Amino acid sequence: MMAVDIAGIGELIMFALVSTLTIIFSILVVTAKDVVRASLSLIVTLVSVAGIYVLLNAQFIGMVQILIYVGGIGVLILFAVMLTTQELKGGSDD
Amino acid sequence: MNIVDIVYNPWFSGIVGLILIGIVFVCAILAVWLERKFGADIQSRIGPNRVGGRYGILQGIADAIKLFTKEDLIPAKADRLLFVIAPIIVLGSGFMMIVAIPFGAIVIGDNVYPIAATQMDISIIYLEAVSALSVIGIFMAAYGSNNKYSMIAAFRNMARMIGYEVPLGVCILGVAVMAQSLDIVEIAKAQSPLWFVFLQPLGFVIFFIAILADMGRLPFDQNEAEEELVAGWGTEYSGLRWGLGLFGEYIHMVLGACIMVLLYLGGWNLPKFLTGIFVLGSLMPIFWFVGKVIVIVLIIIMLRWALPRFRIDQVVDLGWKVLFPLSVLNLIWAVALSLAFDMFFGA
Repeated sequence: MMAVDIAGIGELIMFALVSTLTIIFSILVVTAKDVVRASLSLIVTLVSVAGIYVLLNAQFIGMVQILIYVGGIGVLILFAVMLTTQELKGGSDD
Repeated sequence: MNIVDIVYNPWFSGIVGLILIGIVFVCAILAVWLERKFGADIQSRIGPNRVGGRYGILQGIADAIKLFTKEDLIPAKADRLLFVIAPIIVLGSGFMMIVAIPFGAIVIGDNVYPIAATQMDISIIYLEAVSALSVIGIFMAAYGSNNKYSMIAAFRNMARMIGYEVPLGVCILGVAVMAQSLDIVEIAKAQSPLWFVFLQPLGFVIFFIAILADMGRLPFDQNEAEEELVAGWGTEYSGLRWGLGLFGEYIHMVLGACIMVLLYLGGWNLPKFLTGIFVLGSLMPIFWFVGKVIVIVLIIIMLRWALPRFRIDQVVDLGWKVLFPLSVLNLIWAVALSLAFDMFFGA
């Protein structure tokens, strides 16, 4: 009984953490000024969603979520962003 | 309390994981030393020879102390947040890989106790997923530096990554089909009489090339390219942050060699006549595994000093036009072979 309670509380804390991360970073995706930061926030959001899947006992979907959305889609979005024209923030004197 | 309870106790696994992280860190320091010494031998230089005796084996520790005491520089126009987090992500992805990799096993009779922090059903997918995180880390470092060279490095990093993640995944699929499991421990066990390198040699070659590119080792280190890009994503880094990134790369190299041994080179499985010996038969799988990992690390280091660097377009061409079709061919071959096995020898 005791052990079950501790496990339940741990799960609740993890869920609170992961869902807060998901919400905060998904807001950051639409509010970020810098397009690269927006796409990086999107990647963090997707990783947090993978965390929710793992908490729901769907480990396979969680891992595939990271593999496809971070390793594939995330990298692809960053690649596409790098192809857009943008100035380095500090100008050209590096 | 019998041995199974101890092995599957979470506290025990946690302690094992911490010890493994320490061991892998020491191995990475040794790999840096080995690379310098080996490279020096190949180029007829002496290499490190002052710290720790004639062979300079403590050079890595001296270097680490030097990095600790250096000034912590962050460029004024850098994206501070990304700049600070990036090396942590590169190193963290290595640490997340350590969780699932079995570093050898203790074999008692028919029972195999893999030396790993966890044992998951899907560890090979987990490994591929978290190793992809380091690419994001390198990208963050390169973009956060706000430097033209680093920017080019970030671009190349992404292009190479897209080209090589696909053949790597398809090769792993071939292995999983043949072992009928996604658990890396089961995959290693499935190679008991015959290593997978003999059953799918094409897959091994593609996997080797793809994982070299994944680790960013020469001839695929276009995102570092000291001569053209001034160390690429690491141009603006110095001191401890640079050290973290460097250690992250070497940890990836050691872990990549481990994965290669587990997937294709038979893992810890000994020939049958050796497993019967009383204590030696239980402990020898570890040394057998470590020995194979050392050979692979030596080959990777040797390639770095023997081969020139490709241009980025050549590398992407190789990934998409050669390795990807061949890896699909290898997958078909693996499926056909395991079906044929089932038909002739299976139940």
